[in-house]
Amino acid sequence: MPMFKAPFNGYSVKFSPFYESRLAVATAQNFGILGNGRIHVLELSPGGPGVTESIAFDTADAVYDVCWSESHESVLIAAIGDGSVKIYDTALPPPSNPIRSFQEHAREVHSVDYNPTRRDSFLTASWDDTVKLWAMDRPASIRTFKEHAYCVYQAVWNPKHGDVFASASGDCTLRIWDVREPGSTMIIPAHDLEILSCDWNKYDDCVLATSSVDKTIKVWDVRSYRAPLAVLNGHGYAVRKVKFSPHRRNLIASCSYDMTVCLWDYTVEDALVGRYDHHTEFAVGIDMSVVVEGLMASTGWDELVYVWQQGMDPRAS
Amino acid sequence: MEKAIERQRVLLEHLRPSSSSSHSFEGSLSASACLAGDSAAYQRTSLYGDDVVIVAAHRTALCKAKRGNFKDTYPDDLLAPVLRALIEKTNLDPSEVGDIVVGTVLAPGSQRASECRMSAFYAGFPETVAVRTVNRQCSSGLQAVADVAAAIKEEGIKTLKKPWKPLQQKSAHRTALCKAKRGNFKDTYPDDLLAPVLRALIEKTNLDPSEVGDIVVGTVLAPGSQRASECRMSAFYAGFPGMFLIYTAMRIFVSLTMVLDSGIGAGLESMTTNPMAWEGSVNPAVKKFEQAQNCLLPMGVTSENVAHRFGVSRQEQDQAAVDSHRKAAAATAAGKFKDEIIPVKTKLVDPKTGDETPITVSVDDGIRASTTLATLGKLKPVFKKDGTTTAGNSSQVSDGAGAVLLMRRSVATRKGLPVLGVFRTFAAVGVDPAIMGVGPAVAIPAAVKAAGLELDDIDLFEINEAFASQFVYCRNKLGLDAEKINVNGGAMAIGHPLGATGARCVATLLHEMKRRGKDCRFGVVSMCIGTGMGAAAVFERGDGVDELRNARKVEAQGYLSKDAR
Repeated sequence: MPMFKAPFNGYSVKFSPFYESRLAVATAQNFGILGNGRIHVLELSPGGPGVTESIAFDTADAVYDVCWSESHESVLIAAIGDGSVKIYDTALPPPSNPIRSFQEHAREVHSVDYNPTRRDSFLTASWDDTVKLWAMDRPASIRTFKEHAYCVYQAVWNPKHGDVFASASGDCTLRIWDVREPGSTMIIPAHDLEILSCDWNKYDDCVLATSSVDKTIKVWDVRSYRAPLAVLNGHGYAVRKVKFSPHRRNLIASCSYDMTVCLWDYTVEDALVGRYDHHTEFAVGIDMSVVVEGLMASTGWDELVYVWQQGMDPRAS
Repeated sequence: MEKAIERQRVLLEHLRPSSSSSHSFEGSLSASACLAGDSAAYQRTSLYGDDVVIVAAHRTALCKAKRGNFKDTYPDDLLAPVLRALIEKTNLDPSEVGDIVVGTVLAPGSQRASECRMSAFYAGFPETVAVRTVNRQCSSGLQAVADVAAAIKEEGIKTLKKPWKPLQQKSAHRTALCKAKRGNFKDTYPDDLLAPVLRALIEKTNLDPSEVGDIVVGTVLAPGSQRASECRMSAFYAGFPGMFLIYTAMRIFVSLTMVLDSGIGAGLESMTTNPMAWEGSVNPAVKKFEQAQNCLLPMGVTSENVAHRFGVSRQEQDQAAVDSHRKAAAATAAGKFKDEIIPVKTKLVDPKTGDETPITVSVDDGIRASTTLATLGKLKPVFKKDGTTTAGNSSQVSDGAGAVLLMRRSVATRKGLPVLGVFRTFAAVGVDPAIMGVGPAVAIPAAVKAAGLELDDIDLFEINEAFASQFVYCRNKLGLDAEKINVNGGAMAIGHPLGATGARCVATLLHEMKRRGKDCRFGVVSMCIGTGMGAAAVFERGDGVDELRNARKVEAQGYLSKDAR
């Protein structure tokens, strides 16, 4: 299975929605505490040496997240630790990049997500307790959503409704928002400790999952949000990212500080269906390809990026 | 900097949330002050090309003498595989090795030196690579490593073109030379030959004998350990005070002025072939010098002296032995010795039928995982009635070899060899021969101080467990954390092949430091030396193999650097 060793510690990995063999990796020096960052764009070559880097962009501060544009196949957006949001075009050489840099957040930008339905806007979530809505061609943010009381770790668009998104925060709440409404439409106190990640079910637009410092993943239905649909236990430490599969409605992938990547089926009694312990440091980034069914990628603080098919050993060569 | 601290805090909250009352966080996680790259008490000079680095360190398995797997193995067949492994694993051209120095104690000097030269040929070294032996009793292996390091450093000093003080010969004397067996010295004890010359050196230069740093005696034919003891006795006769140092070496004058790019410091002992013994009669002159007489005390008696004088109980000694076996068994089971042990293909001969069975030895055969306080309690004291030293809480008599490949860092970089460790300092000290076991308690602070460090800065120790009494005494005297000492077991479980122990400990220490990650920065190898000395060396973890995997709990956190204290 292909593997890539970055010079810095990995933070996030995302498959391109346009090219099945392309992915972007966000990395940061010194575990993202102090130093520079780098975005790698990798190509998977089926015949040859596994993974090759096609282009890389250096940043002055850590890159905590990266996402691909849904409207332009060569554009990606990076969330930077100095509070800036930068847009890169891989078709242009590194000296011409970034093509845009927005400096509005007061603190580290922790996640960026592109609208998959409307394809014209994206969200950023920051440690300054806000979520901001942007468009590629506007010089400033369109809206700022300020309600959380602590760092917002992730903001994710609903895959079906282009105006709805969810945000996960360190104030232990999950909030559902509609951009047409002035404030949040739903506040779910999902966990007793910080919520580090959330993601929508790609087949059921009312179901989403949250992952938390309390080592669990909870699956919620917004129509009956008093109690979760499922509580998934099994990680040894805080669960850093959670992702619903784009191909199977019940499958969730998660990565955690316990250095493992786990697969869950939340509708079954014994929910854990797979565990991968290929990382030797915190596993912090995970993604599942929309184009190739079963293809997953993960990255961690051990500076490695693995790409593998579900069911296979990521370390097998 | 505030941002970095803030980010650390956010991340720490994920792992150890402060409001954890409702959840069972075990509190096994705590923030650790980052030690990688910290200056602390040691002014971190950047990696200089003239550092002496170790690029490979290996050993054979250690086996019980006379009954273990090496009982029918020739000594040169013990050393050759280790020497060959050093070359194969580093892809070095053997003709580039400057010198091979082998620490070896009990064998007759010239025979053992010849066997070492033979070993080098078996291992593929060309005739142009020189070989010599060195004998400072139990520290010989470590002394060999230190000698090679010193020779490499000499070259480094010269190339720096700094004004350096060359050794100046102050005084030189000799006895008359007489025909062996029939001449005027035919009934003279060897120590009585050396003593007058040593005394003359002092008297004629009016030097204070305590100012003499070290005495190195070139001697060829005698059984190693006996001759080394005789030399120490000589020096006592000559009026040297108790704390002096002495060791013997072959091929002496060349080695003192030799400069090297790279060298091998090794150790070899076959206690099956050469058990501890004394040939010939004892010089009656010792009766006049109590300290010289104490050089002849059996090692076990010195152990009883230490146990008695410093109050180390039988219980403590047996517990140390149990711990040693337990840790060694765990390390072997976990495969921790696989990196350092070189398998040796040899044979076992059935004493009754003479049949030879070929075997490959790759596991230390002295370790007994089932050792408990109860089983050890049944053993009777061996050296003194109502004593505390038994066969169970003494080091084992073993066969084995070890070797360390050292070179200047610039040479290692040029060859692209990863650096396993850096040789920092070596110190040998003299102590009272009657309680020779206290050697490490004096030698370790000396070596650590010479390195510009404090005892707290040392992350890992290999202290030879010659006897549990002296091991426990040294550990308590220096106030060392038991978790850092002999973490993979010690000589009581693994074995103590006298001359090889120093090199064996270096291999075990460096491989364990490599496993432990960047947090484990400094290590110390130390042992007591029969006839009253101690030796210690400080090593630093190499940076060719860095994986930051280990974090240690500290009591008070809050500063990014120890300098901020």
